[in-house]
Amino acid sequence: MRPNGPGRRTLLGGTAAAAGLALAGCGGSGDDGGDKPAGRKKGEKISLTFWSWVPGIEKPVALWNRENPEVQVKLEKVSAVNGAQYSKMHAAIKAGNPPDLGQIEYTTIPSFVLDDGLAALDEYGAAEHKSKFVGWEWDQSVFGDSVFAVPQDSGPMGLFLRRDLFDRWGIDTPATWDDYEAAAEAVRAEGGWIETFSATNGNRFAGLAWQAGARWFAAEGDTWVVAVDDEPTRRVADYWENLVRRRLVKTIADRQNAWYKDVQSGDIVSWTGASWGDALLAGNAPDTAGKWRVAPLPQWKKGENAHANWGGSTTAVFKACKYPEDALAFAVWLNSDPGSVKLLIEGGYGFPSAKSGYSAADLEVRKDFFGGQKYSEVFREAGRAVDTSWKWGPAVDTLYQHLGDAFTEALGGGGSFREVLRKVQRQTLADLKEKGLKAEAG
Amino acid sequence: MSGPFRRPTRAELRNARAASGFLLPFLALFVLCFLAPIGYAVYQSLLRTERAGPLGIGGVTEAFAGLENYRQALQDSGFLAGFGRVLLFGVVQIPLMILLATALALLLDAASARWVGFFRTAFFLPYGVPGVIASILWGFLYVPGISPFVEMAGSVGWDVDFLSDGTVLWSIANIVTWQYTGYNMLVLIAQLKSVPSELYEAARIDGAGAWQIALRVKLPLIRPALVLTTVFSLIGTLQLFAEPMVLRPLSNAIDSGFTPNLHAYNEAFTGNNQHAAAAEAVLLALVACVLSFGFLRLVGRRGGEDR
Repeated sequence: MRPNGPGRRTLLGGTAAAAGLALAGCGGSGDDGGDKPAGRKKGEKISLTFWSWVPGIEKPVALWNRENPEVQVKLEKVSAVNGAQYSKMHAAIKAGNPPDLGQIEYTTIPSFVLDDGLAALDEYGAAEHKSKFVGWEWDQSVFGDSVFAVPQDSGPMGLFLRRDLFDRWGIDTPATWDDYEAAAEAVRAEGGWIETFSATNGNRFAGLAWQAGARWFAAEGDTWVVAVDDEPTRRVADYWENLVRRRLVKTIADRQNAWYKDVQSGDIVSWTGASWGDALLAGNAPDTAGKWRVAPLPQWKKGENAHANWGGSTTAVFKACKYPEDALAFAVWLNSDPGSVKLLIEGGYGFPSAKSGYSAADLEVRKDFFGGQKYSEVFREAGRAVDTSWKWGPAVDTLYQHLGDAFTEALGGGGSFREVLRKVQRQTLADLKEKGLKAEAG
Repeated sequence: MSGPFRRPTRAELRNARAASGFLLPFLALFVLCFLAPIGYAVYQSLLRTERAGPLGIGGVTEAFAGLENYRQALQDSGFLAGFGRVLLFGVVQIPLMILLATALALLLDAASARWVGFFRTAFFLPYGVPGVIASILWGFLYVPGISPFVEMAGSVGWDVDFLSDGTVLWSIANIVTWQYTGYNMLVLIAQLKSVPSELYEAARIDGAGAWQIALRVKLPLIRPALVLTTVFSLIGTLQLFAEPMVLRPLSNAIDSGFTPNLHAYNEAFTGNNQHAAAAEAVLLALVACVLSFGFLRLVGRRGGEDR
């Protein structure tokens, strides 16, 4: 999705005019025309609205508001359950009254870009801030000629496990997925469960495929190439189908009440999660403090060091924003200013996208919960090994929905996991074509 | 009767003005809140989004699509499966609920009933709980690990799963029945109250017992209310949404198109494809229309034969 070469240039100016026409056609707002907003006059006091759901984000916003009396940011918390925040943002774009800024995950940036909802930030000088952030995370929001969002955090994946129970049962930390299967058997023999395979958790499945070397999306020329049903993803699907069919893992949804209960009680003893999971576990299973450790993701081959990312989000500026320069300034400050990053870390966001402004020790916020382990090191190492060529495509939310539906059906006895992949591949291609995009199977 | 060419008198004009004055607020709201949204939905259902530029990131335009969205909806097996599901639901749940509501209404209306006010309120109370809250409450009672029912059943060796493929539809039926039986009961009671007591006296003098009065006098007399509650339940069933939406994260058996409404919702707000969603919503409304009027015709004809 990066510009493929000097010969190909996206015609942002021309297409913005087309967007203006389209909006006039459906009676939309006048803000979205082809003209660049005039921006703020010197000394003018403005207020920007910001939709986010990140815990503790009130604090950096309050800090900004204290330091910038002329540009006040009004934070509105939105629900992040089942993607409700994105429904709200898409609806607001359609209705012509989106907020100025929004919290958007990497996975969902393309669908907002396709919706023509985000401001192309290079027009406002975003490029000069690129060096403040981890390169590949910045690149996740680059489409055509511009970046569309400022990265906030990432979620290197790792394995959270109950050290005390693994030790008591004499089970080693699994280094490979083969070890993991053996560990699953051993945990089951003790009456526990190593994990749950959640049919509706498309994010994690994507992460596991990512680790195995899959590339679900690529942009070649003017065509989206979709490869959900590729060899690495099949390997992941086969692997988990085996665990599910042998009843070595539960099949409840993770991060729901029943799962929290199992984690609290020790019925489920590990979780294939991501760096932001520390706050989640510590907050929801406080009684298990000190018993957890973090290990790197098991590898497909012994000695490999393949890792993946789950989650992480950005601060994006909506196209309808009247003061994009100020909104961009806030977005950059929020995600790179040392004071702000410190507050975000305390609140429990993911792994900072900012390259500097914090120390390694700052990240060990919940060291006590992990028995004193410097657990962030594990995630840092994983983050460095993440295959950064992975790209998200349009309509990932719909892809997750198809994936969830198909896995739901497969768990209910309707077909194999391989059929799930074939089906989702077919549906995703159809979706993209339905959206008027050129798409082909990879 | 006046002839067609006679000029209206002043009094008649005044009456017409008064009538339109009374009608106007209704008509305005009817157009604003009913006709306009439907018209807009139909209009939206005939459009599609087109994207310009390489990879489609060059902006969006809307173009006329004809009946393309309808064709796609009717070819979507997930959408059609949702219809099958709610129809099955309706065939089982509606008769059950109406039967229960009728039984409760007759019991509370019986001469020997005690504490009528208390029970009427108690049965009606669940209707006051919003559907989403009711689903969350019942969700807690269904989820293994939290549900006392699952635990109790487990302790006697009975492995129940209220949220599995085979059971979840009926778990939802249970929530709906819990919620709406009292409401339907109240409608039936209201109709029963309007029956003049002389009829009962006459029946009693003719030697009818309590059972016979209930079955031969009361039931035929509340027939209109029964038809009304059935039609409302039918429409409500087709529009089933909140319960599966809330239970979805808890169950492995509810997909994104579990009911037609849920399918349309996800099409609009997950897939960001409002045009397809509008077409699905219009189709759903059509099916609801056909079924409701079909049912009304059916019972209307039967009613005619009786007389």
